[in-house]
Amino acid sequence: MWPIARLTIKEIIYKRVFLVIFLMSLALLIFYGIGTYYAQGQVANMNRGPMGALAQGFMSTQFYGMGLYFAAFITSLLAIFSSVGSISKEIESRQIDPMMARPISRASFVMGRFVGLSILMVSYSAFLFLGITAVNQFLGNQLKVVVSMSQILQAGSLFVLQSIIIVAVALFFSTRWSTLNSGIVLIMLYVTSMLGGFIEQLGGITEIKQMLNFGIVTSLLFPVDTIFRTMTISLFESADDPISMATQGIFGSASAPSTGMLIYIGLYGVVALLFAIRSFQKRDL
Amino acid sequence: MGDYVIETNQLTKLYVGNKGCQDITIQVPKGNVYGFLGPNGAGKSTFVRTLLGLIKSTSGTGTILGHPISSLESRKKVGYLPELFRYPDWMTGRQLLQFHSEMCQLNSKQQKVRIEELLDLVGLHNRGDERISGYSKGMQQRIGIACALVSDPEVIFLDEPTSALDPIGRKEVRELIRDLQMKGKTIFLNSHLLSEVETICNHVAIINKGRLIVQGDWRELSSIETQVEITLSGIENLSFGSMSEMVLDSEKIRTEKSKESWRLTLKEEESIPELISALTAQQGKLYQLVRQTQNLEDIFMYWINRQEEAEHVANR
Repeated sequence: MWPIARLTIKEIIYKRVFLVIFLMSLALLIFYGIGTYYAQGQVANMNRGPMGALAQGFMSTQFYGMGLYFAAFITSLLAIFSSVGSISKEIESRQIDPMMARPISRASFVMGRFVGLSILMVSYSAFLFLGITAVNQFLGNQLKVVVSMSQILQAGSLFVLQSIIIVAVALFFSTRWSTLNSGIVLIMLYVTSMLGGFIEQLGGITEIKQMLNFGIVTSLLFPVDTIFRTMTISLFESADDPISMATQGIFGSASAPSTGMLIYIGLYGVVALLFAIRSFQKRDL
Repeated sequence: MGDYVIETNQLTKLYVGNKGCQDITIQVPKGNVYGFLGPNGAGKSTFVRTLLGLIKSTSGTGTILGHPISSLESRKKVGYLPELFRYPDWMTGRQLLQFHSEMCQLNSKQQKVRIEELLDLVGLHNRGDERISGYSKGMQQRIGIACALVSDPEVIFLDEPTSALDPIGRKEVRELIRDLQMKGKTIFLNSHLLSEVETICNHVAIINKGRLIVQGDWRELSSIETQVEITLSGIENLSFGSMSEMVLDSEKIRTEKSKESWRLTLKEEESIPELISALTAQQGKLYQLVRQTQNLEDIFMYWINRQEEAEHVANR
């Protein structure tokens, strides 16, 4: 398993994909930092009226939540694009033949890919999460969201979990379909999940059951958005807060996922990985 | 394991449309260069890929070094150069060999020694630190061969190993195969290049349309027909029609003054002395009789035609 994991990491590093992404992400953080810095100056002026405290709360969580939402979006896309071809592309190009003619099991190969990609994605998403958090904490002033270290750790863990789940699902698709098909299906799933997340939040506020149910179905189908919403709850301590939508905007969460849903998310990732192994074991190369 | 390093029993891999390979039963003796011959699309690569567990067999069984082909043990002492070989081109040749050494669980000390040996062996010693993307096709094939030899395998599958090489490269690969054989290795050579197989193989199997037609010792296979070339004079209006019980086919090759040269296909080896007696009984002067050794192309075509004739009869 480890030679495959090392190969996966080396491949992305040697191809300089990660370096380019790292530099682009750094640029994104700089822009986000500049935006936050100037915005907090304006918020300081707004803070004098009677609605000032509410407006400040709204702006701070909105800014932080927005930063995290788009960081999660970029991380998810990176997880999709780096994983969907990690097995199918090898099969299509026949590069896999000399590897699988070695005394290495198919389960080890999939696990090696999973571990390698997960290490990369965890590193990258942790970097982005901490970058956005650092901007908010050190440049935010009026926009600073008060969070404890344990909240950061909990939210950070959930943030990186999104990409791990995506990697597991992408590997499963990659063992069954071509790179293009896997990529399209996964992006559609991701977009459905995002859309379901927004609709569920609106449903929570308007108390429209059908909208809530739609969100639940999309969460069951692909629970990445639910992980993000859980992360915002742990970060903003806003679970089931009736005014959370008002304070967090559309990037926050109005209703907290149940414990059952959290267990489901964990099982979802494990089952996706087991399916990937099973599917790869059964197929012809 | 016995004397055979590879054994299959009716090994079959069928794709949609019944393409693939069917009911292949072979035994590959230890320490031999075993040629697996067939036209393009005959199912050679499918068979090798089934043996290596890259594709799942539809039915039948097989062992490599005594282990079932689906087991990891069967691949522990095996090297493989695929036909359409492609390696991660962002790697250097040395990195590729290191990666494969890791997969074969060589420790770092063994890796260093083995990698240098192999780069030397395939003539890439000074190019080992260059990226594979900068290698020519021939160099890529060489690094592929080095890769196949990383684990010091007992059985080496080479699928069209000289397809991208120039004549010098081909000669070097042939010499390498002979060296490996001298060291007791068994080489399973998949090829459609008859001359290549003819030059280096002791055993040959011929496959066509996914089915094994024949296999065996190359010398035994080459004696499918007894053919002689004779030069004689002294017999007017020479005809072999009266000798049909021993001469199956005759063809006049040339006439020089009174001497005629004929190529005769005889019923069996014992027909040679009978032929000489019959010719001398007709007062013929026999100047030369040379037994013809059939080349692999003749043998190949003989068996392919035989199979197709049999199919034709069966379908009538």
